Amino acid sequence: MFETATQGIITGILMGAIYALIALGLSIVFGIMNVTNFAHGDFVMLSMYLSFAVGSALAWDAVATPLITAPLMFLFGIITYYLLIDRTLRQMYVVQLAVTVGLQILMRSAALIIWQAQPRALQYSFIQGNIQIGDFQILTSRLFSAVVSLIFIAGMAYFMNKTWAGRAMRAASDDLGAASLMGVNYHKTYALTFAIGSSITALAGGLVMSFQQTDPVGGIRFGLLSWAVLALAGLGSLPGLIVAGIIVGVVESLTVSFFDPRSRLLGVYAIFILVLWLRPRGLFGRR
Amino acid sequence: MDAEPILKVADVTKKFGNLVAVNRASLEVNRGEIVGLIGPNGAGKTTLFNAISGLYRPEEGTVFFKGMNITNWLPHKICKLGMSRTFQVTRAFTHMTVEDTVRVGAYNRFNEKNVQDKVDQVIKVCELVDIRKRVCEDLGLASLRKVELARALATEPEMLLLDEAGAGLNATELATFMDLIKKLNQESQITFCVVEHVMQMVMGLCQRIVVLDSGEIIAAGTPNEISNNARVIEAYLGKRAVHARNQ
Amino acid sequence: MNVKKFFNPRNILILFGVGIALVIPLIFKAGQYTMLLMTTVLLYAILASAWNIIGGMAGQLDLAAAAYLGLGAFTTGTLLIRWNITPWVGMIIGGLVATLLAMLIGFPLFGFKVKELWYALSSSALVVVMQSLFMMWNEVGGPTEKYLPVGTSPWYSLRFNDYMPYYYIMLIILVVVLLVNRWIRYSKLGYSLLALGEDEDAVEVLGVNSQSSKLKALAIYSFICGVVGGIFASIYGYVHPAFFDTSMSMEIAILGIVGGMGFIYGPALAAIVMVSFREVLRASLGSQLAGLYLAVYAIILIVVALYQPRGIAPLVERGIKKAQTYFVELTRGRRADIKSS
Repeated sequence: MFETATQGIITGILMGAIYALIALGLSIVFGIMNVTNFAHGDFVMLSMYLSFAVGSALAWDAVATPLITAPLMFLFGIITYYLLIDRTLRQMYVVQLAVTVGLQILMRSAALIIWQAQPRALQYSFIQGNIQIGDFQILTSRLFSAVVSLIFIAGMAYFMNKTWAGRAMRAASDDLGAASLMGVNYHKTYALTFAIGSSITALAGGLVMSFQQTDPVGGIRFGLLSWAVLALAGLGSLPGLIVAGIIVGVVESLTVSFFDPRSRLLGVYAIFILVLWLRPRGLFGRR
Repeated sequence: MDAEPILKVADVTKKFGNLVAVNRASLEVNRGEIVGLIGPNGAGKTTLFNAISGLYRPEEGTVFFKGMNITNWLPHKICKLGMSRTFQVTRAFTHMTVEDTVRVGAYNRFNEKNVQDKVDQVIKVCELVDIRKRVCEDLGLASLRKVELARALATEPEMLLLDEAGAGLNATELATFMDLIKKLNQESQITFCVVEHVMQMVMGLCQRIVVLDSGEIIAAGTPNEISNNARVIEAYLGKRAVHARNQ
Repeated sequence: MNVKKFFNPRNILILFGVGIALVIPLIFKAGQYTMLLMTTVLLYAILASAWNIIGGMAGQLDLAAAAYLGLGAFTTGTLLIRWNITPWVGMIIGGLVATLLAMLIGFPLFGFKVKELWYALSSSALVVVMQSLFMMWNEVGGPTEKYLPVGTSPWYSLRFNDYMPYYYIMLIILVVVLLVNRWIRYSKLGYSLLALGEDEDAVEVLGVNSQSSKLKALAIYSFICGVVGGIFASIYGYVHPAFFDTSMSMEIAILGIVGGMGFIYGPALAAIVMVSFREVLRASLGSQLAGLYLAVYAIILIVVALYQPRGIAPLVERGIKKAQTYFVELTRGRRADIKSS
């Protein structure tokens, strides 16, 4: 009982760090541009497929694939932004929903066309194996992914606060009109923001591929998970994002180990609903 | 006329985090009056209105309307009891026609059978006949202010709160609007409480004025008394103006 | 009702459409596959029209259509399998069960004023949750299909050998749902919902109880979805947790948006056009590459949403108006001709 719980919590914390990373991409896009990207989970799904393609073509390790997939997803983000998102900014909110859900269907069917329906996984990883601490096992690949996620989130915090591009992005978030008056071309800033958000999913996708497989509908789960993390964290707090990611990861992992693997999203949904009811601004949100 | 005030606000406090937007504000409005609520930007006028009309829950204090304690009531129940309001920034139902907008309010007291009569009547009173089939997003500010008044009026209120109804109107539009309010006040015995920045409107319309500054009520009285009140001038123009006037 | 007012160009077009839908199967002696497709098109038209009440009118972006549909399907199916209760009764109970779930979710959500994005997300999550729950609940759901018995009388167990009866049942329901839409739209509830979709605070100070208005809209919508779910189960002859389909729920919402939010016939029109198109694509492209038809379909959805953000119904309205003025001028011109000669 105690051991199951502890093992569950360990796994949950490691997964949670990666969820925080996935939610970071969403948080940047939603927080800065106020764009609701319903296809965010499918960006992760696409990234995972790209990792699979790169990894199997070059016989690379999954965790190395972001070196190639991140620029690809950056490009994909820019194209998506100018082709679709930019045109929805001044439209009604529902148009954004319709367009990003359309994008979701498109990405899913594209994955189905290119990679067919069966799940895909990469074979080799240099970070195979377990670390044994007492009675508990830690999957090396997960530990590695969690550490990389945390380092990246910290780096992102530095970028947002200390660099010109980061500040321009935050300025654009405060007021679309004012920022463009002050000489920040919001189209370019937004394109950059969206592209960064989407290349973060490439990193996350590569990390996840080191221990999981991917399939065309896998995006739903990542989408819901990252929205739940974001709801819990609120906007504007990166440490909050990490804590929220870990809470979601632990809850998911404990539901799996104590109830049923098929119930993995039930616990997450329960927190999500509770947060919506009780703390609409999130646990750590500033606005 | 009732001796009891129709609206009685007692020690209402509303905070947003650490910011005290309204601090122990008290005011009374008698039946049939037009009372002006003035104060500099950020004085808490709109917050007080929101607390009275049920959109905010005040942390402390009570609001009595027609002798009932309506603190923490939901807005639609307060409306049923006989109070409605307009908004500072017009909040029109952008994709609805003027007539349909008014109808939303008219359903407050009327059913499917007689609602149309009420709609027609209000549209006539507010002089919206020419634009009744127009969609709100195509209308100018002056018309929107009238539509907002009309939809509130259609609920058959005994009291109306107008939040900066004169802002952005030119002199002619303002005069028409003031005449309309006076007419409603005299003919339909509707009590008004108006938040206003346009001094011309406040002075020309109100029988009594209450001044709010930094969330606190600093003065109350007739327009004449208020315009000579030192604290009010200080709040509006700063200390130097008072000095200059005293010398 | 005013007869002259009823026979305006729009209603004549709608009646014409229903007329065509009535006779199409008889004239073309359509094959079973085509009949199933046309029934599917009607199913989407019904769901999109029902969505119009909560989404188009009340402005709540509900993405849980399949949660209510699936619940209706499982209720109907289980009642028939276990207790041999006819789906005619089962689908009503299914509708009520769906409404009950909707109220349980909706009451606190609307009470706490959860809206827009967060309402959309929580409703979308509901579909996933229902799927997991029914996947785990082996007595009723579970990973294998539970088949509905054919029974002795096809009308009792609602299990027909061909799709024609289902098609007509769906057509009748679609007409009823459109009438319900119309009735709501021009009633107190409809005006309240439309206003509430635009500005919730502003409508509350006009005496509208926004929570109960939204709950009414949600109740009607979820009831329709649940009832249709019962027929859905009968058509396919089994129930399975895959009925709780997030993609389908999102598609319903998109059809409602693309059709023209708040226009009574818009969502149904969008569903008929887009889903027919999708199925034609599937039939012609599906054999070559799985998923290609969906990709093309998605691109078209995106293009319509980007370039016709108010939906296709306003386009139709404009077309009707143009045709009307054209005909008026035509008849006037003819009269002038007669006079001059």
